[in-house]
Amino acid sequence: MRVFLELGWFFKERKKQYAIGISILLIVAFLGVIPPRIIGLVVDEISRGTLSAAFLWKWLGVFAAAAISTYILRYIWRQFIFGSAIILARDLREKLFRHFTRMSPSFYQKNRVGDLMAHATNDLQAVQQTAGAGVLTLVDSIATGGFVIAAMALTISWKLTLIVLLPMPVMAYMTNYYGKLMHERFHGAQAAFSGLNDKTQESISGMKVIKTFGQEKEDIEDFKRLSSDVVNENIKVARVDSLFDPTISAIIGVCYLLTIGFGSYFVMGGEMTIGDLVAFTAYLGLLVWPMLAFGWLFNIVERGRASYDRIRALLAQPAEIDDQEDAIDRQPSGDIQFALEKFQFTGDERAALHDIHFTIKQGETLGIAGKTGSGKSAILRLLLREFDDYEGTVMFDGVSINSYKKQRLREAIGYVPQDHFLFSTTVGGNIAFARPNASIEEIHEAAKLAHIHDDILNFPLGYDTVVGERGVSLSGGQKQRISIARALMMQPELLILDDSLSAVDAKTEEAILESLKKTRTGETTIITSHRLSAIQHAHQIVVMHEGTVAEIGTHESLMNRKGRYFEMYELQQLEALVEMGGEA
Amino acid sequence: MEKQRIELTGKDQWLVFKRLLSYLLPHKKMIALAMGLLVLTVIGDVLGPIIIKTLLDDYLTPGTFPTSPIVGLASAYVFIQVSNVIISYFQLLKFQEAALKIIQQLRIDVFTKVQNLGMRYFDRTPAGSIVSRVTNDTEAIKEMFVSVLIGFLQSAFLVVGVYIAMFILNVRLALITMLMLPILGWIIYLYRKYSSIFYQDLRERLSQLNAKLSESVQGMGMVQAFGQEARLRDEFNDINDQHWQAGKRNIKIDGLLLRPAIDLVYALALIIVLSYFGITSFSNTVEVGVIYAFVTYIDRFFEPIKQVMQRLSIFQQAIVAASRVFALLDEKDLVPAQIGTAGNISNGEIEFRNVTFSYDGQTDVLKNISFTAKPGETVALVGHTGSGKSSIINLLMRFYEFKEGDIRIDGESVKDYADAELRNKIGLVLQDPFLFYGTIESNIRLHNAEMTDEEVRAAAEFVQADKFITKLPDGYLQKVTERGSTFSSGQRQLVAFARTMAADPKILVLDEATANIDTETEVAIQQSLERMRIGRTTIAIAHRLSTIQDANLILVLHHGEIVERGTHQELLAHRGLYHKMYLLQNGIVETVK
Repeated sequence: MRVFLELGWFFKERKKQYAIGISILLIVAFLGVIPPRIIGLVVDEISRGTLSAAFLWKWLGVFAAAAISTYILRYIWRQFIFGSAIILARDLREKLFRHFTRMSPSFYQKNRVGDLMAHATNDLQAVQQTAGAGVLTLVDSIATGGFVIAAMALTISWKLTLIVLLPMPVMAYMTNYYGKLMHERFHGAQAAFSGLNDKTQESISGMKVIKTFGQEKEDIEDFKRLSSDVVNENIKVARVDSLFDPTISAIIGVCYLLTIGFGSYFVMGGEMTIGDLVAFTAYLGLLVWPMLAFGWLFNIVERGRASYDRIRALLAQPAEIDDQEDAIDRQPSGDIQFALEKFQFTGDERAALHDIHFTIKQGETLGIAGKTGSGKSAILRLLLREFDDYEGTVMFDGVSINSYKKQRLREAIGYVPQDHFLFSTTVGGNIAFARPNASIEEIHEAAKLAHIHDDILNFPLGYDTVVGERGVSLSGGQKQRISIARALMMQPELLILDDSLSAVDAKTEEAILESLKKTRTGETTIITSHRLSAIQHAHQIVVMHEGTVAEIGTHESLMNRKGRYFEMYELQQLEALVEMGGEA
Repeated sequence: MEKQRIELTGKDQWLVFKRLLSYLLPHKKMIALAMGLLVLTVIGDVLGPIIIKTLLDDYLTPGTFPTSPIVGLASAYVFIQVSNVIISYFQLLKFQEAALKIIQQLRIDVFTKVQNLGMRYFDRTPAGSIVSRVTNDTEAIKEMFVSVLIGFLQSAFLVVGVYIAMFILNVRLALITMLMLPILGWIIYLYRKYSSIFYQDLRERLSQLNAKLSESVQGMGMVQAFGQEARLRDEFNDINDQHWQAGKRNIKIDGLLLRPAIDLVYALALIIVLSYFGITSFSNTVEVGVIYAFVTYIDRFFEPIKQVMQRLSIFQQAIVAASRVFALLDEKDLVPAQIGTAGNISNGEIEFRNVTFSYDGQTDVLKNISFTAKPGETVALVGHTGSGKSSIINLLMRFYEFKEGDIRIDGESVKDYADAELRNKIGLVLQDPFLFYGTIESNIRLHNAEMTDEEVRAAAEFVQADKFITKLPDGYLQKVTERGSTFSSGQRQLVAFARTMAADPKILVLDEATANIDTETEVAIQQSLERMRIGRTTIAIAHRLSTIQDANLILVLHHGEIVERGTHQELLAHRGLYHKMYLLQNGIVETVK
């Protein structure tokens, strides 16, 4: 029940709605005890033969009024209580999303997408249940139970009430016990089901092996065996599950027997009327739900608490990289200077980068070459301020990049990542991602610079074609060029191409580089590439090896050196030749 | 999450439902038994109030209490209650059992179908969604059988039983209470109509919300790099708001038409009963017991209806799930058919004769491929990614059907061999060795129960896998979990070799079997490969040219064509594509150009 306290802030926030909702619930519970009483009154008059038309219509009128008010009031409390619960879900979801947007990449490395999704869906669902059905069950079961027992004891017979209520705790106990049994057996069923799931997954992943060895029949036999396990485990659950209804009706049956037996005795003794007896049996029926509801309530609250704990833990994780106090509110523009002593990824002993010193003059192009894992991307990620914890400084425009406001620093950088992530919106929308209000001409201009304009015109809906599963499927090269256009839209002070020309052919690569050279005269560009053709025209080339700078210079000077760069270059020439089928 | 939405018309839904019901047939005995038990419990339910009515009218109202009839009534009541409790337990259990068996059959059918699908289907369908068909969708159908259909049957029987009893007690009143049926029908109709719209809408919004969330989380790096957090938050809040609005609409619909409405009809029925008896009492005498019985019957009548109403949405989801399952069952992309007229493969001569092949029917990935591998020879396939090497193997393995040209083994078309013969005589080793959950031993033996332990060990020794296996804590019985991720790629490949050798094939097909191995096991793998090839016709795709230098024939592929062919020495002398590839792999650069 602690979760109700933990959610107290929300109940306070919506105290009016909950107060009204709960009051209405109480009224509804009270109205619920009226009909059996009326049935009893009418039966009494009929059995005595004294029923008058006025009496009948008066009480039936009350009955009808109670029924209609119940209908209306039930509709209203649902709006207040369930309506509040979905507001809680909406607000928490919004909070979570806001939190997600503030988290740095390391957060996304620690938490898998699936887990984050689960928090934002299943866990929120459970919390919503607690604030809605949980509150309802708590209030309603206590109120209904209380009013009915009061009505039975006060208006009919407290003696009979006491006698008849005796078996009720047994029912609560039994159903609780079954619930525990179910819980255990349900685990077994769940395990069998996930075994079947794994089996299916494995068979599909290993389909080629199964086909190669002609093991289809045997594999199906295996599946049959596992599916029998699922049946058997579920039958175990069903054995308990099927106990619920008969147990409840058995105990209710005992209550009825007691009611009729002792009731008849009291009727004979004149302590009660026949109408009272009929009303009493009707009340008995109303008591079943509150008894069962308690077990159910514990379930909801238990799940809600666990879920809310997880959500709070997630929200409590601080953003790793935040603006410094009195951060510079200016977009940087100028030279970039790396003076890095050492950087390592969290949880990794080895230094990802060490001893890196170079300067990029404003307006120049820097090429970074090196094998996978040599540290090319890490340099860029430091520039993007994905990490703060390194020894040394990275200066932009004469000031450490850590001193700028994050937002302003990023405004200066147009980044084209390796894994060109596009959003499932239109092609035009993707290009204009950083500037949603850009004109069509500007979008076309950026697309032309990235040499994707003609491709886009050939899509079914041109710039309005949706990207991804629901629309056109793009080739790797097309995705890369759209990513480039997206970065160019910003007309950034610093353009970063992180191996983003790998999937375009040599001719297009050259054309894109040429158009960058023409349009980006005053701004800085950094290109990392596996393929040296993309960087050979840069003003300066850094060759990375094992996290540090192995060689630095221009294409000509590096070729003359006949070191790593030279070797890479020659091998790539040969590779290109092989790709073309051996003929140059 | 299922991306494509399935739109089902009322007629489609009915067809799907009918097809689902056809799965009941094999279990008709069990279902008949359960229904028989259900009839008994309904009779019990209906008789109880009549006994109490008799007590009220015949003894309590006149105030006479002869012992024996009272004891008789009491014992009858107790007997009915007790037997009802017992019978209803078995009835509930039998129904659930039947539902579970039905779903098991459906699952086996789907899984069998999956095993008979061609590789083409697996190429275009994500594994996750196939798994969903086999397990999650069938689970949703189970939910429908257990909580909707059984509940529906129970209500239907109970309604009939209650009406029979009411007609026996008072025909006129029974007829009048019949008025409730169209009202209830109308409410259920309205609820079905509107909730299916609103509920569908809510689910649609939820899937939009989840899609947006998952995309944002995945692309957060981009969002932050471009400083678009605020805009994205606004977009998300928009969808979040719409989802909330849809939720509000659902609460309204449920409030208007669900339990509150059913309870209102219930109250109406009680008012009708009371007024009927009240009015009758003005002129005639009315038996109190009959009033009691009617009040009780009406209560019994409404209970199951309320339950079924709450669960109608499960029905909707199950029908959608079932339609997806049936779509898979109706899939036409089957494995290539084997005619089975050819005899046994004894020599293992392979001949490709003018084979042209395309996956999509548009671009040919293999163009007019012809070559022969004589018994015991090794033919190596080399070429760049996408040159068509793997397609040659895919066709030889009969993973895909081809139309132009022919592939012959020992002079007969591969299409003519029985499936089992092909599988027994051709052994394929994949680049990524796939290990199944189980033990090392079960991974070598697979499902071949006739294989002795000695044969398993001999196969492992033959490929030098025994060295690492015997060092494992549990040796051959070492557990293999999570696709064998606890073993190195080389160790996994050795197990895959042993598996292939245990089957003792005539023809060996190696699909880049040496591509992903660690240096520790490399020597063992190279030696094993050499031994494996002795006496077997081998088709090998080689990543490293050094591994195929002794091949009898090397085919160099480019864009689906064989551009060079010959032995290693011949091809080097030719100074063509193979020569350049060789130089590239050996890091020799000076001779280029």
